Amino acid sequence: MRIGRREILAGAAALAVPGGPALAQSRAETLRQVTGNTVNTLDPTMPGSTREAFGISVNVYDRLVGFGRRQAGAGWVFAPDVIRGELAERVETSADGTTFTFHLRRDAKFHDGTPVTAEDVKWSFDRHVTARSLAAVQIQTGSWTKAEQFRVVDAHTFEAKVERPDRLALPNLCTLYCMIINSKVAKAHATADDPWAQAWLKDNAAGSGAYRVESFKPGEQVILRRNDDWKGGALPFFRRIINQTIPEAATRANLIERGDADLSIDLQASDVPSLAQRPRVKVVSTPQFNAFTMVAFNTRMTPFDNVKLRQAVAAALPYQDIFKAALFERGAALFGGDWSETPPTARFPQPMPMKTDLARARALMAEAGFPNGLDTTFSFNVGSAATSEPMAALVKESLARIGIRVEIQKLPDAQISTMVTEKKLPFLTETSIAWLPSTDYFFRNFFTGEQRWNYSSWNNAEINDLTAKARFERDPAEYERLCKRMIAVLAEEVPLILLWQPNQDAVMTQAIDGYTYQYHRQVDYRDLRRA
Amino acid sequence: MRGVAGRAGRRFVSSLPALFGVLVFTFLLMRVLPGDPAVFFASGPNAGQAEIEDIRRRMGLDKPVPEQLLLYLRDIGTGNLGRSMTTGQPVLNDLRNRLPASLELTFCALLIALVLAVPLGILAALRPGSVVDHAVRLLCTLGVCVPTFVSGLLLIYVLYYLLGIAPDPTGRIDIFASQPPEVTGFLLVDAALAGDGEAWWAAARQLVLPACTMALFVLAPLARMTRASMLAVLTSDFIRTGEALGLSRRRVILVYALRNALLPVITIMGIVFSTMLGANVLVEKVFSWPGVASYALDALLSSDYAPVQGFVLLMASIFVLVNLVVDLLYGIADPRVSIG
Repeated sequence: MRIGRREILAGAAALAVPGGPALAQSRAETLRQVTGNTVNTLDPTMPGSTREAFGISVNVYDRLVGFGRRQAGAGWVFAPDVIRGELAERVETSADGTTFTFHLRRDAKFHDGTPVTAEDVKWSFDRHVTARSLAAVQIQTGSWTKAEQFRVVDAHTFEAKVERPDRLALPNLCTLYCMIINSKVAKAHATADDPWAQAWLKDNAAGSGAYRVESFKPGEQVILRRNDDWKGGALPFFRRIINQTIPEAATRANLIERGDADLSIDLQASDVPSLAQRPRVKVVSTPQFNAFTMVAFNTRMTPFDNVKLRQAVAAALPYQDIFKAALFERGAALFGGDWSETPPTARFPQPMPMKTDLARARALMAEAGFPNGLDTTFSFNVGSAATSEPMAALVKESLARIGIRVEIQKLPDAQISTMVTEKKLPFLTETSIAWLPSTDYFFRNFFTGEQRWNYSSWNNAEINDLTAKARFERDPAEYERLCKRMIAVLAEEVPLILLWQPNQDAVMTQAIDGYTYQYHRQVDYRDLRRA
Repeated sequence: MRGVAGRAGRRFVSSLPALFGVLVFTFLLMRVLPGDPAVFFASGPNAGQAEIEDIRRRMGLDKPVPEQLLLYLRDIGTGNLGRSMTTGQPVLNDLRNRLPASLELTFCALLIALVLAVPLGILAALRPGSVVDHAVRLLCTLGVCVPTFVSGLLLIYVLYYLLGIAPDPTGRIDIFASQPPEVTGFLLVDAALAGDGEAWWAAARQLVLPACTMALFVLAPLARMTRASMLAVLTSDFIRTGEALGLSRRRVILVYALRNALLPVITIMGIVFSTMLGANVLVEKVFSWPGVASYALDALLSSDYAPVQGFVLLMASIFVLVNLVVDLLYGIADPRVSIG
């Protein structure tokens, strides 16, 4: 018998059929996300954990409460003012705003099948405030500092108390650090040196979330499987999630274009416009409304301790050109605001009244006492070079016109964080983000104190005073007045210049639906479905 | 045979001071680099001095450098290479998991390179100045000139993106395929041991593109060295004698000439192998290959000391080992050579 090419092909096709439909089905119910970074821990509270690790933990653990979401443009964004129950069916807040009573879902179970009780919740919160972890530093911004604040009322009722009615007490409990851990499992793996099982929870999960960890290979991939017993909400669409590390951005783009991968949220901004043109690809662009890119001055070091000089720089920058050259206008501008004295809203960040006006800049330079100009350096980190490099070139060129000679300094990430923390850089650009986008939280973290996030090392008595008051202000009108005043002072003193909120470009195959921009800037797989 | 083992043992012992020097040098170099790992890893809105100090204490950076060095040497003595902050895993585990990936890729690439380079080198040497010689020279020059990330991306673009022949260029095995049970860490070996033809094929398909990319890059030194040493051998007396005695040309070239020309090729092979293992970071990045080089690069960028030190130690040890193997191969290629 002579076997031709056609027969072989037919034979191969016949062989391929049996596994075919089943395989296709499981592919349809599998989401493959490709990312340039790695998941380095299953415990997001571990110092040094990556953003991708945050994303995984949101899906593997539940919290008592979480943020809702709302439609914005073509996509969805998280709603910081809508608080919905996760493990808690409902929350009661006392009249004075200091006591929160959580009623737990009675049918909620951990992945090992044991019920979620108030004891587990209490143990988890004791861990979050006591253990050395990222959780403690975050939730202290909501006045959560010691274990005595948390109390078990009965097996399914849990109470948490703050001394003063902190506006961010409840929102802080929605953040992913406040995950609820299976205390029985964790205690079994605790040791005398490590009472909170931090070493074990790095590589193992003990949660109740919508997904279980099927395999975890740090630096390569994480595979999640849906928890069909999940009670925290409607069962998610995808049965299996593959989160794979692919360092090369071009390869990630290729995979999505060919339909081999479903979603990537960290492609190069310059590639996104052309990808959006492809028939099989969908791009959901959302301005990151809880982030901002800025140019910061060191207000404690000469020469930028001089407010006139800072104002001069603010008047000399070619905002629109930088926005176009560095970001291709893919974001929301935070300059060119049409106001002076009092901002139109109490929201922050909002467009500040910065405009390019060279004549004014030159006059301010003279007033500042620099008739002959000055020399300085402008620093940015290598990781952000794609946007910062064109920005730095334009800053250098425009400031040369008012006599400021700028030397551009590109630093590796570890090095720039060291220098920012030590407050050694005079003039730099950074992008930063706040999980809880409320005005007083922004000002507290970015414009007061000694931490790294106070990029301009600003220490303004009025701002310190206003933020301390606003934190506990329960009257909405008064809170708004305080916030507007903070924003006005910022516009006047320019410790830093706000530039824009960059878009998050989530690139996915056409069929993926429901993508939501989250406060942690990662993917909440529970939101997604394949149409 | 005992003589060989004794020689190998002596060689190994005599390389220990060099290993120790590398160890101390890397240790000091990492501490001189600007950038404080503790600051880098302390994130969170309110990460202040206390958190940074805590991380510094955990990483053992709060002690004076000489004391850190002694502690580090003690750890190495007990087989503890420290913990990586980037992956959160002990460095020894990371290296153990990733080294087979790098070795498998490097072996395959070297094999492809040898299979191509030796015949090409011989062909070029047989007809110096001919079209064949120039074609080989052109190919080698191209291989060396085009950086691996360009040739890698080009291969991906044509074979995966445009033609769809190659599997998606990500990692060691198709992400939807099942992985064979781990025995050696070499997927091809593991799949063969498990008798899993499908997994073997899935792993082999993933290997082709990165291995070819690397092979292209090292083609030049191997082919050029084969050509040069063949040229020298072909003009020697014993070849002329062999030809005069009427031996077949095939026998003269493959048995008498090639065997004598192989010594320098083996030397170069040893060097090429060690270089490939450490320098294939670009290939690993482009093909998302979970190997040791990309691991070390990620650690270096975030000033994560332990993995970088572990990597350098591993590379130095492999280099010593490869040199040893090369010396032993010498003895097989030319029994007159004995290295004491």
